[in-house]
Amino acid sequence: MNEVIDWQGYLAMFDQEALMIQSPFIHHDAIVFGADSDYTTMAIAGLHLLASKGVEITTVRSLPLVNPSAVKSATGTTVVCDDEDTVRCEWNLLVGEEATLVFTNNLERDLGFHGPSELESLDSTFYADIQAAWEQEMKPAHVSQGAYVSEAAYLEGAEARLAFMAQSTQADLIWPPRQLDANGQRLESPSQPLMTSAVVESWTKLSAAGAPSEFALRAPVLGGIQTVFVRFEQGPCGVFLVADDEQYEPAIGDKVTFVVRRIYAQEGLIRYGMKAVRKSN
Amino acid sequence: MVDVAVIGAGQTKYGNHPSGLKGMWAEAAERAFASVDQNFEPRCVDEAFIGSVAFGGGQLGNTAALLTEHSGLEGIPVRRVENACASSGFALRDAWMAIKSGQADVVVAGGIEKMNDLSPERRRFWLGVSGDTEWERLAGLTFPGTYALMARRHFHEYGSSHDDLVNISVKNHLHGFENEMAHIRKEVSFEKAQSGFMVADPLTLYDCCPTSDGASAVILAADHVVRRFTDDPVWLRSSGAGSDFLALHDRPSITQVRATQQAANAAYKAAGITAADVDLAEVHDCFTIAELMATEDLGFAGRGEGGVFAREERGVRNQGNVCINPSGGLKSKGHPLGATGTGQAVEVFKQLRGSVEDARQVRDAEIGITHNVGGSGATCAVHVFGRDRA
Repeated sequence: MNEVIDWQGYLAMFDQEALMIQSPFIHHDAIVFGADSDYTTMAIAGLHLLASKGVEITTVRSLPLVNPSAVKSATGTTVVCDDEDTVRCEWNLLVGEEATLVFTNNLERDLGFHGPSELESLDSTFYADIQAAWEQEMKPAHVSQGAYVSEAAYLEGAEARLAFMAQSTQADLIWPPRQLDANGQRLESPSQPLMTSAVVESWTKLSAAGAPSEFALRAPVLGGIQTVFVRFEQGPCGVFLVADDEQYEPAIGDKVTFVVRRIYAQEGLIRYGMKAVRKSN
Repeated sequence: MVDVAVIGAGQTKYGNHPSGLKGMWAEAAERAFASVDQNFEPRCVDEAFIGSVAFGGGQLGNTAALLTEHSGLEGIPVRRVENACASSGFALRDAWMAIKSGQADVVVAGGIEKMNDLSPERRRFWLGVSGDTEWERLAGLTFPGTYALMARRHFHEYGSSHDDLVNISVKNHLHGFENEMAHIRKEVSFEKAQSGFMVADPLTLYDCCPTSDGASAVILAADHVVRRFTDDPVWLRSSGAGSDFLALHDRPSITQVRATQQAANAAYKAAGITAADVDLAEVHDCFTIAELMATEDLGFAGRGEGGVFAREERGVRNQGNVCINPSGGLKSKGHPLGATGTGQAVEVFKQLRGSVEDARQVRDAEIGITHNVGGSGATCAVHVFGRDRA
């Protein structure tokens, strides 16, 4: 395989027939997901990497461990989860027992990957606490109205949320999308993606006491949550949680890029969204 | 057109109130009724508007009908007005318009919120419902977070600092210390306010208003019936209102609140005054940065000079041209969401009539304003009150 690539918070190895992507974390000799990742976010990162290498995948077959709706909104790729061969899929997504995924278009091939030897060991208490928080949050009975976004509202904004799709007008780009303009005319559907880099214009770190109740279970484990207010190159602004920020405190003027991660769970469903990560020079 | 006067006003003490909704409203209404000088009884009231977020759910629907039935006002047209923390500021505006339009002669505007009878978890999610849920809440922002973003950007653009916010906190605690109706009656030193527990960086506990129970009510009357009730009315000279995008990221700037500017400009123009004419202002300081920005948006300080205004203590009672938050503001007096707007009007009414505690009296006050903001600035109502009719 090729060299190990550090990609959107994961480790990946790529050639023209296969992509292996895995979490950079290990716990008790097993590769595990970090605080806000899962098979869905990792699959999205993998598809982004493949696209950056010129490999566009329209359909992929997978076990039902990824969320097809989130993957479709974020990448445009259709995930086929049924066992029947009703849809032809050139690519397959193989889910490992640990936090690893393989995209391949050649199932006959020996996929004897040798992953990176150096992985980051997660503190046992942290890992147990964050797992317990997600488990609690995933319970259907765990409902909050403070950041209540119904499934319909979430799906309505999914492409804007997961792929930064903006509305194009003669004057500028509008993001997040709006309904009617100042003339009372309906704006066209989002059709143009924002560039995936932006500049920090302000930021804050909320203590567990200041975080919305949706994050109340995880904020203490994470030592608070950081949010940035950013401006995209094309003009629109947005607010985003910061990912992979154990060693990062934002500053005004920082350039950031974005990765798809878990935001929170509501009514038994994971809500996914973009999070900001510091852009490496 | 008809002129409108305030003939009575009253409120509960803000804080952790032992009563429920009905008892709190009855207490505020009773005090407002008793403050009318003569000939008043509930049956004089033609209509009522009661602001409330209906925090916690409770009697979410038909709140106003329940409350009026417990204050001798049953049978009149009533409605709950909801505009987040500006709910009763807009209830006051609706009451003012009802009289201005000639549809009513005597109207009650009030507000109420019961916030401290919920579990911490329920309280926290109700504190989030008035912000943009789809984008801001999904980015982990509560109101401390959104105002923290504004504060850090203001520091960056204008060189203001957290010490300026500390000055605001110290001032409002000083003003509220003598206020018998205030939630937090204690003076706070600069050093203590400077080193508070961090809630949303850079805002600390001393930058944030408390979670309060409370109710407030004011009674308005048309000019042709005022003398029946009092020889000492306070005139509600104008009402201005504005709105802006719900979420910060859609606004042209996060270091000014356009809704406040719109509301203030409209209210000043209609009253025939400028900011320089204002003697006292009850300003919506849900967070200290909100007061700093409001001093600019209301015209008391130039753009970007709110920090200097606070640093030079120009808003301290009887020290500068205008006293900012003589009641102690939301920071000290408290912030029972739906009650705050008309609670501000109660303070201005009493200040202009010279009936507050002696130590709190703003000297020679002729004109006062209230400034009531919903959320992080999506809605705002500004009212101008005067000793003179115009």
